[in-house]
Amino acid sequence: MRALILMLALASPATTATATPTSYALQPALSSVGFETDFGPDLITGRMPVTRADLTLDFANVSASHVAVTLNVQGAEASFPFAAQAMKGPKVLDSVDYPEIRFESTAVHKSGDGATVEGRVTIRGVTHNMVMQAAFWRQKGHEAGDLSHLTIRLTGAVNRSDFGATGWADMVGDQVRLDILARIERTN
Amino acid sequence: MWRNTPTRFGLLTRALHWTMALLIFALLALGTTLANIQPGLANLWLYGLHKTLGFIALSLCLIRLIWHFYSPPPPPIGPARALTNRLARATHTAIYLLLLALPLSGWVASAASGLDVVIFGHITLPAIAPVSAAWEDTGFALHGLLTKALMALLVAHIAGATLRGLKHDGTLRRMIHGSTSTD
Repeated sequence: MRALILMLALASPATTATATPTSYALQPALSSVGFETDFGPDLITGRMPVTRADLTLDFANVSASHVAVTLNVQGAEASFPFAAQAMKGPKVLDSVDYPEIRFESTAVHKSGDGATVEGRVTIRGVTHNMVMQAAFWRQKGHEAGDLSHLTIRLTGAVNRSDFGATGWADMVGDQVRLDILARIERTN
Repeated sequence: MWRNTPTRFGLLTRALHWTMALLIFALLALGTTLANIQPGLANLWLYGLHKTLGFIALSLCLIRLIWHFYSPPPPPIGPARALTNRLARATHTAIYLLLLALPLSGWVASAASGLDVVIFGHITLPAIAPVSAAWEDTGFALHGLLTKALMALLVAHIAGATLRGLKHDGTLRRMIHGSTSTD
């Protein structure tokens, strides 16, 4: 999500109005965290609700932006029932003992038309570095230069085995690809 | 007609025998297939089918044992102490034990994986084992081992029945028609 913020820095006409760090709040009903992984020749897809998201965007100084997101593992849904149960079970995410996944950015860099967000992700109590690519847009209904409501798309991937989520390794792929679509609104 | 007598198999016993025979061969074929395919959305339903058929086989085996308690089947044809009959009785006993242990080991292993054991598409069976990698690994290893043992015993059972059929001693005819040719 921070990456999205960085992209805002690219919007030069808008930055003049928000040249200091700006806090944003997630619009949960309009946001989703999608994921997919390989299942034989097919894909398992699903969604995970966002519990909390703290976003501070600095369009003048992208590196000052910061993102912290917490996901609700127990609320996760997958494309078929067994996949959701397997994913939340003790062999994968172990949602009883680890009900949340957390990501917190450590650095944000401008990257092409978007941004690169480096951070630390904690899954099953194990923390590793993670890099996500970010892109952002102004939400529909808002004029150019109006950064009060933004849409951020973050993409990245983790290898679940790095976090001890090794269940059904003979059936389900190790790499989990994330596609986060967050809609945020300015709070200050 | 339905009940067994000292010399003949009743209709219920014969129906259970041949229904279970078909079911067991279908299960062995399906299980062997599942062990060798790459799981995917297109074949996921086969796992549910295997569990459903396995549960039916377990149920029929229990029904058969209860039925034989109330209506004992006839003993093997020929002298009771003959080696072939003692082997036949031992084989039958072992097959019954495997027909109980095999589905139970699959049930235990599936339950230990943490996934619901669902039969007929929507009935969730009770979890009869704790969610545990050790229980799951042991259960599936046992399931595979017992499957091979059952295959070996079925080969012996079919070979014995075929030999008796070739000798026209009435054993095979009795399980098909209920009585021997001399009854």
